[in-house]
Amino acid sequence: MNDKGEKQLASINLLLFSVGGVHFGIDAEQVAGIGAYDGDQAEDLFWFHEELEYGDAAVSYASPTVVTIRTGGVQSYRVIIDSMEDIAEFSQDDIRLFPELLEPFAMRRGLWGILPVKGIMVLLLDFQRFLKQKLTVIN
Amino acid sequence: MSTSDEKPKSELILDELKRRQRTKEVVDVEEERVKVVIFICGVNFFAFYGRDIREILPSCDISWVPCLPDYLPGLINVRGDIESVIDLRHFLGEEKGDHGNCLIAMAVHGDFHSGVMIESIEDVVDIPLRLIQPPLATLNGAARDLVIGEIEYGGETISLLDIGKLANLISL
Repeated sequence: MNDKGEKQLASINLLLFSVGGVHFGIDAEQVAGIGAYDGDQAEDLFWFHEELEYGDAAVSYASPTVVTIRTGGVQSYRVIIDSMEDIAEFSQDDIRLFPELLEPFAMRRGLWGILPVKGIMVLLLDFQRFLKQKLTVIN
Repeated sequence: MSTSDEKPKSELILDELKRRQRTKEVVDVEEERVKVVIFICGVNFFAFYGRDIREILPSCDISWVPCLPDYLPGLINVRGDIESVIDLRHFLGEEKGDHGNCLIAMAVHGDFHSGVMIESIEDVVDIPLRLIQPPLATLNGAARDLVIGEIEYGGETISLLDIGKLANLISL
């Protein structure tokens, strides 16, 4: 319990990276593998900025990295991220909710929370939630 | 010369001044006034009710979030609280430019709270409620949905915007 009588939440391991200057964190438990991007053009490999709909702004990748996400299904999901920074443990108590106004839009893309770290807002992304939403839209 | 039963001139003047003061006090008590914050958005003047603006933040970093509509430029960190930011220009038909030098007006109305991007603060004034005129019938577009009235300021007619209406518009 903390001094407000609230139950302390457990910690979470986050894989931190940034794409186009925006910082993200994903639960490391969702990651099945990480590897350097070798120019693979496979259809089941997605660019992060396209998946998250960055819009018209050009996004360049300094050190593209392929992350394989556990989906729980037969087919894995592979996405190209950029500038992988760290895998670090954070207290769940430090995670903030999206402001009510933004939450519906954020949740539609699997963005479920914000972690302020050293003056930077790290957007927490649940790829499994994102994929579920994506499949719902496709179907 | 004045006769003995006549009041001295100074007393007459004082009586009149006090009578006027009492009248003014009565008028002041009866006339309901509201505080309004006059600001520039885009290139035009607008106003909010002062009661809906908690504070004005100097230009601060807005963290962009993918998948948000144009009128929601992102997030700001206000002393540890994460708040949304609304770009009013989208609703007012004002030209969009760089928002690096914008101020953020922190708006609070009931359960609704959000930062609102503005160019600059012009003034904060108390005005009699009776001076707020109904919105112009010629207003169109989304601005019509936000304007609650019109006020005169410095010889210009300024639209008074309702944060409650803005909240409803965005929450739809």
